[in-house]
Amino acid sequence: MVIITRSGITDAELDVIRERVEQRGLRTHLSRGVERTIIGCIGDESLLAEVPLRSLPGVEDVVPVLKPYKLASREFAAMPTVVRVGDDGGRAPLVASFGGVGIAVIAGPCSVEGAEMLRATAVAVRAAGASMLRGGAFKPRTSPYAFQGLGDAALRMIAEVRRDVGLPVVTEVMDPRQIDSVAEHADMLQVGARNMQNFSLLSELGRVKRPVLLKRGLSATIKELLMAAEYIMAQGNRDVVLCERGIRTFENATRNTLDVAAVPVLKRETHLPVIVDPSHAGGISDLVAPLSFAAIAAGADGLIVEVHPDPASALSDGDQSLSFDAFRLMMARLTAFADAAGRTLVGARPSAAGAAA
Amino acid sequence: MTDAKTSADAAAARESLARARREIEEIDRELIALLARRVGRSKEIGTLKRIAGMPTLDPAREAEVIRRAASVAREQGLSDEKVRDIFWQIIGLSRTAQTEGE
Repeated sequence: MVIITRSGITDAELDVIRERVEQRGLRTHLSRGVERTIIGCIGDESLLAEVPLRSLPGVEDVVPVLKPYKLASREFAAMPTVVRVGDDGGRAPLVASFGGVGIAVIAGPCSVEGAEMLRATAVAVRAAGASMLRGGAFKPRTSPYAFQGLGDAALRMIAEVRRDVGLPVVTEVMDPRQIDSVAEHADMLQVGARNMQNFSLLSELGRVKRPVLLKRGLSATIKELLMAAEYIMAQGNRDVVLCERGIRTFENATRNTLDVAAVPVLKRETHLPVIVDPSHAGGISDLVAPLSFAAIAAGADGLIVEVHPDPASALSDGDQSLSFDAFRLMMARLTAFADAAGRTLVGARPSAAGAAA
Repeated sequence: MTDAKTSADAAAARESLARARREIEEIDRELIALLARRVGRSKEIGTLKRIAGMPTLDPAREAEVIRRAASVAREQGLSDEKVRDIFWQIIGLSRTAQTEGE
């Protein structure tokens, strides 16, 4: 349940309300908005039955959260969450934000194939207005014989390019044992569609101080996606960005079917930012631009797009990767769609720590 | 002359930095010693509670510890939310210590 407090409530009053909840063995989570502050209660709510919460000073209302996800639910936050990536102590010279008015675009190769191709891609996508770089080091491929990624060597390339080009980086983590080394080199950790319900991985990511990009599973419902986010948040990490990347349907003209409706549904259900992956959804490079436009029109907070210096020779997902030119063109056209949705396409911005240094 | 002055300033700054870092190391040692003392006391309390026939877990008491920590944190100009998180971790240490004998 959430406790909605009166405007002008004092810190001491908030402390007392939280103590009354925590006395029963539950935990509390505070969300401060411009107009009101919300106390979220996490744990067995039946234990609060005898606590006269409504009569405590400063309490305006007590609202049950009927959804199985609590921390991820819209009711739990006073305002939509803005997730800032690259902002911890100026690790990356630039910062990307998800949520709020801006639209952020992540772009880069499916997998890191070498330092030079990663650097060239980073420079090109930054110039085109992307605010983050993507690049896989560990690749969960359907076939055990397909290219599996460069692993630790790719992580070092990612760190080097991030330092030189400045864009914060997201890369996938497949195994809890990889988390420490990936978190050392990347600014955001991605959970791939195939791992969306790997609950031990999710719980471990909840203990990490890095934002998480959580991709929707191939056959996962919106509710299951939100429950996966809840797993991460329950361990303390509240910086989760959700990603719709297409679901399995009977249609086989496209790799997956982009569930455009998932975007407004998620925006209604959760305070977390929602982005779309048009590359995996369509599986064909020609579809990337139209699906991106649809995503922004539907209210997405950003995109994650595969871009490769030479898509025809890519070691993975070449069919769905955009060339630098195609990406530039798409970004130029995206501006009008963002405007129509009342949003602004925002590139990477200098971090406060970077500016001070 | 200016260069000489700059390098003297830099050397002085490096010296101050090294001193501040040594002080932080000392503070860390003290913090850990205090944590060890807290855990030691928690073990005693665990034993006493068992003898007195009281339950080891006491959420009301924990909630009080957290409220006090948040209030003191604000007085000290620290983020009360961060200090709350730290104290839940510290309570976790003490909980483990108290229940060890069970």
